[in-house]
Amino acid sequence: MEDNRTKTRVIIVTIILTIGVLGARLGQLQLIDATAYSGETRSMAVREKRVTPARGAIYDRTGRLMVDNEFTYTVTITPRYFDESKITLLADLLEVSDTLVVRKLNEAKAWSSFRPSRSFPEVPFHIFSKLQENFYALPGVSYEEEQKRRYLTDAHATHILGYTREISAGQLEQMEEAGYRQGDLVGKSGLERSYEDFMRGTYGSELSMVNVHGMEVGSYLEGEANIPPTSGYDLHLTIDSKLQALAESLFVNKRGAAVAIDPNNGEILAMVSVPDLNPDIFARSMSSADWYALTSHKSKPMFNRATMSMMPPGSTWKPFMALMALQEGIVTPDQKIYCGGGHPIGKGKRFRCLGVHGYTDVRTAILKSCNTYFFEVMRRMDVNTFKKYANAFGFGTRITSDVGEQLPGLIPDSSYYNRTYPRGWTVGYSMNLGVGQGDMGVTAMQLAQYIGAVSTSGRLTTPHLVRALHQDEVDSTHVPQIDPSKRVDIDPAYFAVVRESMQQLMSVGGGMHFQIPGVPSAGKTGTAQAPGDREDHSLFVMFAPFDKPQIAIGVLVENGGFGGRQAGPIASLMAEQYLTGEIADTPGRRWLMQRILTELKSESL
Amino acid sequence: MRTWYRNLDYVSILLWIALVCVGLVALYSSTHGQASEYLLDSVRQNFNRQALWVFICAAGICIALLLPVRFYQNIAYPLYILSLLLLLFALVWGQEVNGAKSWLRIGGFQFQVSEFAKLGTLMAVSALLSTKRPGTNELNYAFYVTMLIMAPVVLILLQNDAGTALIFMSTIPFLLYWSGISLNRVLVLIVPALTAYLTIVYMPAAIVFSIVFIIYLVLRKSRVLVLVMSAVTNIGAIVMVKFALEFVLKPHHIARLVSFTNPEAPEYRYSVGFHLVQSKAAIGSGGLWGKGFLQGTQTQGAYVPEQTTDFVFSVIGEEFGFAGAILVLVLFAFLLIRFISMGSHIKHPFGNTFVVGVVAFYLAHIFFNIGMTTGILPVIGIPLPFLSYGGSALLTETAMLACVLNFYMRRDDFSIYGY
Repeated sequence: MEDNRTKTRVIIVTIILTIGVLGARLGQLQLIDATAYSGETRSMAVREKRVTPARGAIYDRTGRLMVDNEFTYTVTITPRYFDESKITLLADLLEVSDTLVVRKLNEAKAWSSFRPSRSFPEVPFHIFSKLQENFYALPGVSYEEEQKRRYLTDAHATHILGYTREISAGQLEQMEEAGYRQGDLVGKSGLERSYEDFMRGTYGSELSMVNVHGMEVGSYLEGEANIPPTSGYDLHLTIDSKLQALAESLFVNKRGAAVAIDPNNGEILAMVSVPDLNPDIFARSMSSADWYALTSHKSKPMFNRATMSMMPPGSTWKPFMALMALQEGIVTPDQKIYCGGGHPIGKGKRFRCLGVHGYTDVRTAILKSCNTYFFEVMRRMDVNTFKKYANAFGFGTRITSDVGEQLPGLIPDSSYYNRTYPRGWTVGYSMNLGVGQGDMGVTAMQLAQYIGAVSTSGRLTTPHLVRALHQDEVDSTHVPQIDPSKRVDIDPAYFAVVRESMQQLMSVGGGMHFQIPGVPSAGKTGTAQAPGDREDHSLFVMFAPFDKPQIAIGVLVENGGFGGRQAGPIASLMAEQYLTGEIADTPGRRWLMQRILTELKSESL
Repeated sequence: MRTWYRNLDYVSILLWIALVCVGLVALYSSTHGQASEYLLDSVRQNFNRQALWVFICAAGICIALLLPVRFYQNIAYPLYILSLLLLLFALVWGQEVNGAKSWLRIGGFQFQVSEFAKLGTLMAVSALLSTKRPGTNELNYAFYVTMLIMAPVVLILLQNDAGTALIFMSTIPFLLYWSGISLNRVLVLIVPALTAYLTIVYMPAAIVFSIVFIIYLVLRKSRVLVLVMSAVTNIGAIVMVKFALEFVLKPHHIARLVSFTNPEAPEYRYSVGFHLVQSKAAIGSGGLWGKGFLQGTQTQGAYVPEQTTDFVFSVIGEEFGFAGAILVLVLFAFLLIRFISMGSHIKHPFGNTFVVGVVAFYLAHIFFNIGMTTGILPVIGIPLPFLSYGGSALLTETAMLACVLNFYMRRDDFSIYGY
């Protein structure tokens, strides 16, 4: 039948055309627009969970682990799958009341039926492990793992380490491009902040499939597309944690700061600022009221006194004055200046000496701490030259280093006086600087840096806290760039004069009763007037051993009285701990230790 | 003498097996993937139930092959009457599923009577056309054929199942063309429908399309009456669609009708456009080779509603990609062309009309279903033959296939002129 054959052909053409249209549409969707749709399904159906890397650990200079991470567990409830007959079981396992579980369940329902709600944060591990065994009986109950910092040594080192907190909204806005997300921990101060980029590590991602209700229903591509996290770099500090712990304990009942450095390379061995806090409190969740109380307390526990509190150096300044005067030729080592109990300028009232020293050369002036001698030196001195030398020793400047929060302190020059005293000023205004008083301020770290330079006859190192950063997984090491040592442009012969005088002070002078048993050392006391009727601030600088210095220390104790009373013994005990690894068990040391630990100093604020 | 089974068309059976297996694979993936525990129990069992249906259907093919053609010729009208009665019953006592009152429950067994009606109607049309003698007025037969089909269509529309009604109506042009109506006249029937569709998508295209068609008719030197009719119906289609969209239809009807043109629009995305957004995303993201068996994120996440039934094609598109989807289309094309060529060997009009009707039913299903899942047609609930889950549909589609096999196999058993 001819007719039917044509009809058959027409129908076949119709079939091919119809199916061809569908094929073309498939080509359009699956070949041409495929990428766009892939993006769409991924954003809908694949959920990316960020996997937090282990934040870098922190080791002290001896390799002792100071800080690492521990997991905390947050138990979640997904109401849609939770069996309400299991409320009692869950409450028993969590060791909370049934009503609390009911309340948390209702809160979770109010948020979402299909998504896990973070109902019980920071569940202690022993409770969590018990719960974990019972998850099979608790549908809809799950957990999330989080990290928090764990502190392992006796040393607080709060101001060195700093702390981490959840990123704030403002910070997030700035740092979002660097890959930060809501809820991330970020270093807020100290080393945690300075080395944030290294310690943070790289976040990994875990892809899971999410169904139409937003529930996770399985892994995506069986985990093949997951990216494991990379741990952060570990910090290897210059700090000696035992020395740090001892130094912190010596400041009991006191306020103040101490910094010990290795004068050969500027490594900070200990850095104490008291009052401080146990850093562990930052690792826990804290109410905003507690946070406010902490940051606004008048004793300022968050404030790093070692690098930020400005204090006149008192007589610890005298070795500096001597070095400057000798180098400038204002005095020669043997030239004597008469001390009659005060300097003639200022009618004997403002420029008093502690004693009547008669004709005094520079050695005696340091040993006996003769004010008259140094008033006279300062009288002959140009204040701008003074500033130049002070700056050369690191005073009045900020160092480029990993020491986070610092203030430069104050070293005046003529323009400062012009600004401060617009009605004119005389040499009497600046003479106080000769004995480390007046319009000047230094920090404990600057004192340690300065006395380190004295101990090495002029090598000014840059104090720093980190020796190296190391990432074990990829075996990668990063050594921070620290400013190289500078030379202080003073004749070594003059350094020898000053160092000898300081050594005499420890062996036969005022520091005799707290000299380190068996280790020759050098030091200088300082007593700075505190404003008002308060007791003077006690200061001390020292280095040891005398011949081959390994430690240089600056200590200041607020209202500690005479420098040899509080600051001197603390410095001596610190040096001994560092050099010998222990405090010698002699009657003298025992008594010294006991006195420092029990004496209440630092008047209430 | 050839034994009866020598004429059995094994190629068609193999194609049937292939399509049914693809369907089972897709059903398995959407019910037994890694996320299946989160699915409703009733959905999870769809794979097992479909597998059971496949065995029932296989048995059905065997039984159908054993019956003589005479039997089918004899039951054609009774079957048609039964279909209409069942449709009426469903209208009165039926179960409502997805808004359509098209299910009857007999004992513990539920079935969609409109599926059964496809078979009955096709038989009746075949029986009617086999009584046509040469020289009879073709328009009379065309009218009868149309009436035979429209009777169940009215009942199905009353059941609120526009999709199935559309499938029935789609077969009319094929059957009329086969009964002897000229291609031009059939086109005059079809073109207004296409014009209406284009009006929904993009009206200028509808106008251009109408003009092109009328120019074609002029070039073919059609009669003036046909020209006028065509112009009136085309303009009528455009005006009616516009009028309906503006004044008659309620907003939710309009949304259902036009949302496929832009399902991603915010007003549709989470309501009437949701099926399409998810289905297009599933198919589109499959790319060339697909995401792999049990690896489709959309499928496993149960994003596409009805992915075991009407949207099963999205599972294939996502997990087996363009390659898999085209394979399904090629299988269908092979089967349909195979049927048509088998039909041309059946000289008896009862047989060859039935085959054409079957092809028309299949093709309409395929076109509307895949057109819907890929977003070129509005979402109307129509299953994909052999692949979608559904016992009544699979049984009906397989019964059609079995009849075609039987008529082809026993093509010499038809009386020379049995009317």
